[in-house]
Amino acid sequence: MNCELCQELISDLLDGNLSREDQLLLNTHLEQCLSCAEVRNDLNSILVFCHAQRGEYAASPNERAMWLRIRNTIESESGAAVPGAAKPRPERREGFWDRFMSRSWQLSLPQVAASVAAVAVVVSLLTVVGLRGIGSLGSKGVANADGPAVTGTTPAFNLDRMSQQQQAINYWNARIETNKARWSSQMRDTFDRNLNVIDQAVNDSLRELSKNPHDEVSEEMLNAALNEKIALLKEFSEL
Amino acid sequence: MKTNLFGVQLKASRALRLSVLVALLLPCLSATGLVQAQQHISKRYPAGKNLRLELKNISGEITVESWDREEIRISAVLESPAAHFSPRQMGDGVIIDVIGENRGRGDVGAVNFKIQLPASSSVDLETRRGDIHVSNVRGGSVRARVSSEGDIDLTGISASQVEASNTTGNIFFDGEFARGGTYQFSSGKGDISIRIPVNSAFHLVAAAPTKNIALSQFWNNRFQKIGDGRKMVGDVGDGRSSVTVTTFGGSITFLRK
Repeated sequence: MNCELCQELISDLLDGNLSREDQLLLNTHLEQCLSCAEVRNDLNSILVFCHAQRGEYAASPNERAMWLRIRNTIESESGAAVPGAAKPRPERREGFWDRFMSRSWQLSLPQVAASVAAVAVVVSLLTVVGLRGIGSLGSKGVANADGPAVTGTTPAFNLDRMSQQQQAINYWNARIETNKARWSSQMRDTFDRNLNVIDQAVNDSLRELSKNPHDEVSEEMLNAALNEKIALLKEFSEL
Repeated sequence: MKTNLFGVQLKASRALRLSVLVALLLPCLSATGLVQAQQHISKRYPAGKNLRLELKNISGEITVESWDREEIRISAVLESPAAHFSPRQMGDGVIIDVIGENRGRGDVGAVNFKIQLPASSSVDLETRRGDIHVSNVRGGSVRARVSSEGDIDLTGISASQVEASNTTGNIFFDGEFARGGTYQFSSGKGDISIRIPVNSAFHLVAAAPTKNIALSQFWNNRFQKIGDGRKMVGDVGDGRSSVTVTTFGGSITFLRK
């Protein structure tokens, strides 16, 4: 599951239109991907709000705007009642800004709600795009001695998750290094052998992804191998 | 000269006798040493039908089998330097935490467990290294986790939740898939074999980069091959239970009972 597909399916997930398998896949991805989880939360909030209001939205009263409208009405009526009282001013050509500012923004309640929803969606999408950009900048070209080197050929949607997994690997590696000296040589050999097995799986997946960046099976295997590595490190750090 | 010669012969025969004596005593001494290096423990606890066993071991073999008594018997052979552990009984559960009780001790000998318990028990077994065998357990859940090297054999299992995983070693499951149950098997470099009745119904997600996925009689044309056969997804029967099998470097084989 990648972020693009996930965000396409979030709406169906919230509507309950997904199969059990898709739900499982999507929920697994949402547990691991902060960006997608935020999009899901935003959409969910909008849906909850719309359901709660049932299409009737109370606009917040704007006393100042209302008072301005009343005053304008009174002035125009009083101007019309005293002929000649107001001298005609020379006409000035209005610019775009003047027209924009003087335009009366009277929106119906559903329009207001729709506008709010649109703004929320746009802001969410911008946030996601921004976070991805930051993630890719932060991870690009970072080679870690304890983990796989993330290259530019790896699909962009992997980088956030891989970055998080790499942080966890670094953390547990540090714990392991502290405790490793106490282990028997046999235990150390066992650990090193099995870490190599998992690293081999990680490297195989990365190699496949470098050939075909959109290979979903390799992406899943890479994710599983990295999680397996985290589990191995975590479990041995308990010794 | 003769005396000298005789003296040399005498020394030689003494040395010979001494070496024969040592050769005879060595096996006896080493056998005694072995006996002293191993420690046997056996304990019994009363157990209800809904017993839950939780075992966290560092290294050693774990064998769990069912019997028809309402009690649990824990037998262990401890190798030197012997690990400390004391099983705790909490409600319906029995907890043995060798890892927790020996944290920071570093070099601790293997503990080989043999545990007998009621068939309706749930078991949660974990070891950093060593084989796990579970037989004829028909409780709610069976979990077997080997962090590194060790085979996992689960035979005669009927539980609604089964999870078996290791890094190096084979996994063998022989049992039944319950309606609505969840079954997960994963190995880093081992082969995974699953032996189930021919009328089993389940939804399968199987992935092996080696493409060695053999579904035998369980294959049908509703299965979807993904990534040139590295992953197979599909339903067998009505797909009423969920089965996930993953191996990074081994094969996946389904066998009929």
